[in-house]
Amino acid sequence: MTSTEKSFRSAATVKSADAPHRAVIRRNMATYHTSVARGKQRFLDWENARAHAAGIKWEVVNHLDRYLEQFESNLVKNGAQVHWAEDAAEAKAIILEIARSHGVRTVVKSKSMVTEEIHLNEALAAAGIKSVETDLGEFICQLRDEPPYHLVTPAMHLSRTDFSREFHEKLGAPVTEDPEELTMIARRWLRKDFLTADMGITGANFAVADPGMIALTENEGNIRLCFSLPRVHVALVGIEKLVPRVEDLALLWPVLGTAGTGQALTAYSSLVGGPRAAGEIDGPEEFHVVLLDNGRTRLLADVEQRDALQCIRCGACLNSCPIYESVGGYTYATTYQGPIGSVITPHLRGYADWSHLSYASSLCGACTSVCPVHIDLHRHLLQNRRNAVQQRLDPLYQRVAFRVFRWLVNSGRRFAIVGKLGRLALRLGITRPFTRPWTATRDLPPPPAQSFRAWWAATQTARPPAGETAPAQQPPGGPTLR
Amino acid sequence: MTSRDKILGSVRDAMRTLAIRPVPPTSAPVFPPVTDPAQRFREEFLALKGEIIESPEALRQFLAGFPKITTDDSDLVRQTAGPGNATVREADLGITGCDCLIAQMGAIVVSPPSAGGRAPSVLPPAHLVIARRDQLIPDLAGAVDFVRRRYDGHWPSTLSIIAGPSRTGDIEKIMVLGAHGPRRLAVYWAG
Repeated sequence: MTSTEKSFRSAATVKSADAPHRAVIRRNMATYHTSVARGKQRFLDWENARAHAAGIKWEVVNHLDRYLEQFESNLVKNGAQVHWAEDAAEAKAIILEIARSHGVRTVVKSKSMVTEEIHLNEALAAAGIKSVETDLGEFICQLRDEPPYHLVTPAMHLSRTDFSREFHEKLGAPVTEDPEELTMIARRWLRKDFLTADMGITGANFAVADPGMIALTENEGNIRLCFSLPRVHVALVGIEKLVPRVEDLALLWPVLGTAGTGQALTAYSSLVGGPRAAGEIDGPEEFHVVLLDNGRTRLLADVEQRDALQCIRCGACLNSCPIYESVGGYTYATTYQGPIGSVITPHLRGYADWSHLSYASSLCGACTSVCPVHIDLHRHLLQNRRNAVQQRLDPLYQRVAFRVFRWLVNSGRRFAIVGKLGRLALRLGITRPFTRPWTATRDLPPPPAQSFRAWWAATQTARPPAGETAPAQQPPGGPTLR
Repeated sequence: MTSRDKILGSVRDAMRTLAIRPVPPTSAPVFPPVTDPAQRFREEFLALKGEIIESPEALRQFLAGFPKITTDDSDLVRQTAGPGNATVREADLGITGCDCLIAQMGAIVVSPPSAGGRAPSVLPPAHLVIARRDQLIPDLAGAVDFVRRRYDGHWPSTLSIIAGPSRTGDIEKIMVLGAHGPRRLAVYWAG
């Protein structure tokens, strides 16, 4: 077992038994589901909206070269500078070089999962640059030195008491549990960073090929401040974020808002295409877009799972996942949590360390049923299991066990003998060491007196001649599956 | 070979095979039609906690609450609310025009040319939009079309759709107004 899998198992064991943690997550999820149900009523047909959204993103991830080139050339026309980074190290080097050339000392950041993916804050800190997370949820995560707990709601796991304690201890703020006062503490604290920062760093929710702009979605206004006040604006953008035309956002903005938080539109939906233009009175002198691959082209090459790149990071699959609700966001130990994270992480960071996430699923398909861009999430989890086996990453005992199993079930006689032995062993209780992983937290039903095959044979011989009705018979071992 | 060439090369290689096409959407409209834009804007904007200033007298009272005001210096704003008296960094209130308003979402579209730059509509703790009723567009798709027609070929460097005052739900999903942008957002119809 890999160390990543070991830590997943131990964290999951702890978290799924942590009743207060589960209560917090359940309360958050309940609020989410109520808002989303209300938000969907604004659509004539939410399912049709999903089909539109899936169609737009399918077009992009199947003609990505065309849209990337169009995006780049339109941005350059607007005076933006476009960089390409194959991996995290290259992206960090590009951003650090921009910061160095402008003598940047302070950076204000918007919430951005792709900057988490490349661990940008650590790189900035190592270069002596102060980087401040300005989204309220990310701000407290940064104070606690924690990664975001959830794609959309980074501080979902924290209560107002946690906010109060953190602001009191780290910022010297007065103790208060009023969410409004707590928000104002953060607003006042971060205001001076906004006014003095040299550089703003954002991600992008969408990258619009025509007319060559990035789209940013938020509620707080911190992103607008990040791209309005500092001298330099850098946007780090995964290459899959493209959409063909700005007109597509008339659908994708409401779809993202609805699936993300149940909002028809978030408070601010912005487009940024360049630095301050001629005739404009404010805005940065330079606007840089860093296009990041970091494993995405590997996923793109997998035709079977390419649709995973259609993801708009709304978090709907996390919010509907019974596993996420039980084990929480940190157990995954990945940048992207929940079903989408379990699907893409093995592609981005290797099957060897991350294919265990394919089993963090009951395959119930709730994720697939809510995904606004029709990603076949639970099927991809199955495919990742298969891929891991094909790469011989499954443990030896499992490989042997399946081989033995195949040998047994390919002969009726062998199957009958093993069944008989198994029932006997179950009754004698000598299977305990083998069933322990299951029975540690669950009961095993009592073994039936006879096998299905024995019961079937008996039923067939007792069958009355044709024309008469057979008496209803119950097979052994509980209810029938009709 | 540059990173650009390598990434685009890998993308092109991948694009040789198309993924299975999803079930196409129907041609039915996605949203219900907006029948009375003025009424719809009012309902949506108020539901988002926006304020509508109903009369010149109410506007005078509203403005009296803000000692330091910055404006976008447009004719419409100057004629309606007078000149500003503060820089954008010190102002309590930013007064701007807009490109258009969206009835369907109770939203306002601003850009540097329509709202005096990037900061006046987001940095001060309150934002007042002076608009004309003929700037109201029924739905979001119409607003995007409008912006495209207005700017195609020479887009402003940025553009924002504002749907209500700044807000956050990051503490226990309880909605709080005024996270980083304006805590108060008001509209005054100047014609």
